[in-house]
Amino acid sequence: MPQSKTPKTAKTTRKSSNGKASSNGRLNGKTSGKTIGKAAKLTKLSDDLIRIRGARQHNLKDINLDLPRNQMIVFTGVSGSGKSSLAFDTIFAEGQRRYVESLSAYARQFLGQVDKPDVDSIEGLSPAISIDQKSTSHNPRSTVGTVTEIYDYLRLLYGRAGQPHCPHCDRSIAPQAIDQMLDQVMALPDRTRFQILAPVVRGKKGTHAKLLSGLAAEGFVRVRVDGEIRDLSDNIELTKNKTHDIEVVVDRLVKKDDIQERLADSLATCLKRAEGIAIIDILEDRKKADVVPLKAKSDDKDVATAAESEGDYGNDLPSELVFSENFACPEHGAVMDELSPRLFSFNSPYGACPDCHGLGSHRRFNADLVVPDPSLPVYAAIAPWSDKDNTYYFSLLYSVGQAYGFEIQSPWNSLTDEQRDIILHGSPDKIYIETDSRYRDKKGYHRKYDGVLPILDRQYRESSSDLYKQKLEK
Amino acid sequence: MGPYNILDFTSVSIRDCLYNIEDVKGENGGEPLLNKKQLAIGELVLKEIKARLTFLLDVGLDYLTLDRTAMTLSGGEAQRIRLATQIGAGLTGVLYVLDEPSIGLHQRDNERLLKTLSHLRSLGNTLIVVEHDEDTIRAADHIVDIGPKAGVHGGDIVVQGDIKALLKSKESLTGAYLSGREGIDTPSERRPGNGRALQIRNAHRNNLENIDVDIPLGKFVCITGVSGSGKSTLINELLYPALQHNFGSKVPEPSQMKPIKGLKALDKAIVIDQSPIGRTPRSNPATYTGVFDVIRDLFAETIEAKARGYKRGQFSFNVKGGRCEACGGQGVNVIAMNFLPDVYVQCEVCKGARYNRETLQVKYKGKTISDVLNMTAEEALHFFENIHKAATRLQTMVDVGLGYIRLGQTAPTLSGGEAQRMKLASELARRSTGKTMYLIDEPTTGLSFYDVHKLLDVVQRLVDKGNSVVMIEHNLDVIRCCDWIIDLGPEGGDRGGQIIAEGTPEEVAQVENSYTGHYLKHVLEQHPSKG
Repeated sequence: MPQSKTPKTAKTTRKSSNGKASSNGRLNGKTSGKTIGKAAKLTKLSDDLIRIRGARQHNLKDINLDLPRNQMIVFTGVSGSGKSSLAFDTIFAEGQRRYVESLSAYARQFLGQVDKPDVDSIEGLSPAISIDQKSTSHNPRSTVGTVTEIYDYLRLLYGRAGQPHCPHCDRSIAPQAIDQMLDQVMALPDRTRFQILAPVVRGKKGTHAKLLSGLAAEGFVRVRVDGEIRDLSDNIELTKNKTHDIEVVVDRLVKKDDIQERLADSLATCLKRAEGIAIIDILEDRKKADVVPLKAKSDDKDVATAAESEGDYGNDLPSELVFSENFACPEHGAVMDELSPRLFSFNSPYGACPDCHGLGSHRRFNADLVVPDPSLPVYAAIAPWSDKDNTYYFSLLYSVGQAYGFEIQSPWNSLTDEQRDIILHGSPDKIYIETDSRYRDKKGYHRKYDGVLPILDRQYRESSSDLYKQKLEK
Repeated sequence: MGPYNILDFTSVSIRDCLYNIEDVKGENGGEPLLNKKQLAIGELVLKEIKARLTFLLDVGLDYLTLDRTAMTLSGGEAQRIRLATQIGAGLTGVLYVLDEPSIGLHQRDNERLLKTLSHLRSLGNTLIVVEHDEDTIRAADHIVDIGPKAGVHGGDIVVQGDIKALLKSKESLTGAYLSGREGIDTPSERRPGNGRALQIRNAHRNNLENIDVDIPLGKFVCITGVSGSGKSTLINELLYPALQHNFGSKVPEPSQMKPIKGLKALDKAIVIDQSPIGRTPRSNPATYTGVFDVIRDLFAETIEAKARGYKRGQFSFNVKGGRCEACGGQGVNVIAMNFLPDVYVQCEVCKGARYNRETLQVKYKGKTISDVLNMTAEEALHFFENIHKAATRLQTMVDVGLGYIRLGQTAPTLSGGEAQRMKLASELARRSTGKTMYLIDEPTTGLSFYDVHKLLDVVQRLVDKGNSVVMIEHNLDVIRCCDWIIDLGPEGGDRGGQIIAEGTPEEVAQVENSYTGHYLKHVLEQHPSKG
């Protein structure tokens, strides 16, 4: 029962609202009355008209207007006739305002307030979206890709379905489970001797004495230090100021069919010890190895295909197999985060280039702009310095001229490329710089000359005053 | 992702990007470049990307790259991107309000845009388009013509209905131009020019492909071509800096071309663009054209002012003296309401007159200085018709179609088109040397037929004085009236940057592979020159 009641009441309210509309729309006469009658029959407020009454925004002269919906309507007229006043300042503004009013007061404070347009009533208004030409973003982080959201989809795609490659060697980086590593090791030819190494130190300076004694205490017997196998019971002394690589020998095995369990166990230990990296060092003689894998291939085709999928051993048995259970290139150690869409965003610190923060360009001083007119003499050619009363730059240039053999009166384009380069980018050696002090006699000091561009860059970075920044931005 | 990294999608043009996506999906005949697992993950995403790229293609933006920053896009491009995004959103029942979407579009791209718009409508949306473009008006389901003229002469509905109603209407100016009752005459002969030319050699900035071009002087030259074909690059990034450099500004000579030859025939270059004439509310049309100085002098000359010892400074609303100090000469006080919009309240002391009571007692022909600021240019012209200096300046304002603007209207409230015509007006009023080059970038933007007609008359007058005008333009009514056309193309972006045609409109209309020529031929047939 109650279910049938509710639509009835809804109907009546709708009717009453339609009644209002017709009283407002009296000016329009019969046509609007008819459509309203239809709308009421359909029990759906299917206004096919937008009714505007008494629009007086700007120069509009109390306009009454009915616009058909779901059509393409063109407003035309001479410039300044009030087209935009009607379209934007009245219709769109009202649509926008109604939407904003429906939000909570909290949300409203973040949105710009829209003034109520000067209009008696607008009915049948749908949510309005304006597509104008002004709302371009002036943020350098906004690109065609981000505005259209295509870039977001691309990020998603790469984040979820991408294949990472090492930036150094271009090999595919994929996390491997112990089972996958096992399969690869078991694909080695029979009777291959190998040892499992856990890299614990990579290119770090120091004697690592504590680590080594700790390893001995944990029960490891051998280590490989800088490529050389040594017993931990020996006294290993490392040069303090050199970088070292240390790998712990976790296990030594000979490939047989029944070693699988022990291998898995050792690999697990190794991965734990070396933060997810395991090295299989193959101890076979090269000569032997050349023969054996061929046999293995012909003997066991399954093994060969398994090997192919993860890197074909072919005729050359690799001297090492490197595995990683993380997103890291086992060889270069280039660790990657797990792929995620944010990694591909140039606006997120995870993905952006750390140097330019993802903008792709730097704000730098351009030599062509610093020297706008190369026919001027050197002291006047450098625009940011030429209009200063400051004698500092003048004497600085003079000293540079003294050191590198040019007159500051000579035109910029008569200098050699080398001399120009020194002025702009600094001198390689320390030179004598003479300063002209008002209070003391001529005094000087020896130091490197920085060059125009680095000095300007520094000034721009360090200056806190906006005015000075603006001046430099020219 | 197969052979592509993320840059292979973002740094190539949208057309190529779409190709790459199809490649990945294996739709170009080849095998899919992804394994099954990746395809399963990416299927929806790839579909979505492809759809959005196609929308961008449909609105004629195939030459952009995804990593192009939004900052460097033109207004029209940005608008079309938003349009494409909206179509992608697939909303229905929405009211879209568009502001002149055809601005800056070549005729060819215009057709594509119209298709996009009608697609948006057929999704079940209502579109309100503010537009002057003939094709768009003809394609509309419903037309509302507002007018009949501008400013106080406008604001009424002239015609409402379909295209036939508009064409029939006697009051509608738009209808008059569309039906051919009014029209811009194609000049019967093209100016021969003064025989000199600027020689640009080996220009190769952006997408320009080492082009050599001569710009004849003493003529009205139009640079045409589809969007992105390199018109603006040639004029705004090469020609103008080169002219500036040679006329003494501290601007480096653009290095992407050989030094320009033939400069001796010119003495200055002036850009007339749509940037605002002033950003402060203290600037207005009267101060910009300099007519206000004349008017202030006039007030200072009155007996009343002399008796009180008032100088011209007394009649400025920008310095202390004559202005109302309560509002600082603004006429309104701004009350900041924090999270509500600022409220403008009329100044209580001067009641919006901007001046103090003493200054307002000085009258010229019964009007105070404040009354003068409230006049439209047209009224002021009538009022000051005997003051030659003021009248000539006001006349040019009326000539460029700005007669409806109030002298005291603050500069930031002028539209881009109005600002541009303001600049044209003040150039016209200046004594011409006959050796000036005017660079005008799409002046017809936002102008109706009637206004284009007026503007064109003004430009022709500039050229008649011996000056050279170089205009970047899409409007065919303008193009057919110029003396010389340089058509760039053939397409936009990396497939543009070549010179397709050079010559008078009649000659260019004969060039087969020029899009401009193709449309030009059509218009020239419609509007044959009289006489």
